[in-house]
Amino acid sequence: MSENQHWKGYLVVEAEDSLYIQSPYVHEEKIVYGPDSDSTTMAVAAIQLMQINGHQINAIHLPESIDASTVYLATGVDSPFHNDELEFDEIKWDVLAGDEATLVVAKVDTEICDFDAPQDVEIIDAEFHNDMGEAWCLEQSTSNVSQGAYVSQSQYLEGARARLSLASQNVDGNLIWPPRQLDSLGRRLPSESELLIGKAKVESWTKLSAAGAPSEFSLRAPILGGLQTLLVSFEQGPRGVFLVTDDVDYSPVIGDIVHFAVRKIYAQEGIIRYGLKAIPVRQ
Amino acid sequence: MGSALSQHISRGVERVLRLYGWFTRIKCLEYDRLAQVLVPLGSDMVDVAVIGAGQTKYGNHQLGLKGMWAEAAENAFSSVDKNFDPHQVDEAFIGSVAFGGAQLGNTAALLTEHSGLDGIPVRRVENACASSGFALRDAWMAIKSGQADIVVAGGIEKMNDLSAERKRFWLGVSGDTEWERLAGLTFPGTYALMARRHFHEHESSHDDLVHISVKNHMHGFDNEQAHLRKQVSFDKAENGFMVADPLTLYDCCPTSDGASCVILAADHVVRQFTDDPVWVRSSGAASDRLALHDRPSITQLLATQKASQSAYSAAGLTANDVDLAEVHDCFTIAELMATEDLGFSEHGQGGIFAREGNGIRNEGSVCINPSGGLKSKGHPLGATGTGQAVEVFKQLRGSVENTRQVRDAEIGLTHNVGGSGATCAVHIFGRDRNV
Repeated sequence: MSENQHWKGYLVVEAEDSLYIQSPYVHEEKIVYGPDSDSTTMAVAAIQLMQINGHQINAIHLPESIDASTVYLATGVDSPFHNDELEFDEIKWDVLAGDEATLVVAKVDTEICDFDAPQDVEIIDAEFHNDMGEAWCLEQSTSNVSQGAYVSQSQYLEGARARLSLASQNVDGNLIWPPRQLDSLGRRLPSESELLIGKAKVESWTKLSAAGAPSEFSLRAPILGGLQTLLVSFEQGPRGVFLVTDDVDYSPVIGDIVHFAVRKIYAQEGIIRYGLKAIPVRQ
Repeated sequence: MGSALSQHISRGVERVLRLYGWFTRIKCLEYDRLAQVLVPLGSDMVDVAVIGAGQTKYGNHQLGLKGMWAEAAENAFSSVDKNFDPHQVDEAFIGSVAFGGAQLGNTAALLTEHSGLDGIPVRRVENACASSGFALRDAWMAIKSGQADIVVAGGIEKMNDLSAERKRFWLGVSGDTEWERLAGLTFPGTYALMARRHFHEHESSHDDLVHISVKNHMHGFDNEQAHLRKQVSFDKAENGFMVADPLTLYDCCPTSDGASCVILAADHVVRQFTDDPVWVRSSGAASDRLALHDRPSITQLLATQKASQSAYSAAGLTANDVDLAEVHDCFTIAELMATEDLGFSEHGQGGIFAREGNGIRNEGSVCINPSGGLKSKGHPLGATGTGQAVEVFKQLRGSVENTRQVRDAEIGLTHNVGGSGATCAVHIFGRDRNV
């Protein structure tokens, strides 16, 4: 009835009209989120898998802990916290949050079956887990404000759909990403309408030492031992720069293939900014 | 053909008018009106020269903004051979990123107020690390257009009076904030991406960058104005602390405090102040997309290529004519790529160029970064562009320390880049006037 699999850095068990997803990390016998995950990023991954499997999900009930705007921008799935004009009866799907780092996505009338918990878990280093947790708490504090370079909420939102879903502009068959404004004739380019294929090739990479990291990452970069960034090219042409999910110990090679998952990028002024990070494709 | 003829005629008429202005020293209304009519006919009516230039030492300064600027201005004023006082200046352009926000608005008004330049039109020019390269271009244009006869171009940055935490917020502010910064990149990271890709596409390696680092430290060792006056061995530079893989500490310029100041004059007033001017043969500038991922290639800077082609073309020169070049080596890979983009080597051959020892003072056809460059002389962001011009002015006049004089230099070039190549200004200077 169910099948275990890895999906966007999480462990997943699928059933007919439902899906169980959990973090692969365990700390003191509890399932815990990795260094850049939370219930929002996992909900996005779960909904995306359901969509790929052919489920039509137009609207969904989300727990309050999940950022409804991010879910909408990443998946196109609406929810009452994002759109208060949604009729309750229109919503056919639920996201249910577990006590630990687990979620279930299911049709509202589905009887939730017992899922066999995936065995492929990994014990996370306790010191690393605690340090990262404390750093995120400090970073999410409303008193954590920029004293220099700054991406405002409106600037973030202007590019959020492209950032979270790889939505690109189609100009005479050429895809443009990240989005641009006017072309060389002064005409406004069309809005993002086409998703890039979510795989790309590594063109270059670097690992920046913690001391040189942007201030947005200054609390976590020392714990991570620096920040690893990939410059990648998508098959359809556009290129982009991405951090690596979970800050895994990955030694990139130019030509490697990566795919992407929504993860936490940083937090400022009490608001978490989400975006895509790269996952090396397992050989 | 028609355009060339009209330029020829307009130059002839303009020279008569210039003589008129020279002898009478009267800028009559008719002269101004005629000049306005003639300017569109001839694109290079007025030649521009550097008559004075000075700077502070680069490094960690006790002085604040006002003190540093005053020192640079004072050094520039005193370098003018005769008859100069600051009241003769018509306009001033001062480049600065205003790092740290100490005087973010009206920076130029504050600084000029403290350097005897009260009351004239002034402005801060901001184009990241190319701020004063563009201030120099603006000053040059002000004279070329006939609006001014004597113009100050300068730059300043105070970077080392911030706490480490505050400094972190300001480093990299000139990169692509929305996408690159949120992918964990500051400039060491973006240049590291370029370096690794260059190694992949071309016959280059980190050892080539080490050669550049060693050379620039050797050049800067004798420069009394340099921030890092120390020679560095190949072994030490090769094994430095990894800042942004593959770039080590010895591939990166320091963060410096400093100010620099250049005084430009129109040809018809130059001889009032010096018999030994350095002529600005041309100015070229260009821009490119801010983020690396939006550019067709990350192993070349199109802005540098465009700016230098424009400058070479206007001066009637090629890279082969250049005796010394102050190149924007914020990272060693930036110098390697600049040698290609400026035409000193073929595209993709910058590694071989460095490996074979090219660019060393008095050992080849061109000396690259005789001052020590940003790597050794230092990089006070907004001051760097005009600081490069100070070095070229002194080198061409034979007035640097004897131990580091480039012999028989006639043509010098400055190359000032903003960010990872979003903006670039190239200037060519000569001992001879471009007539």
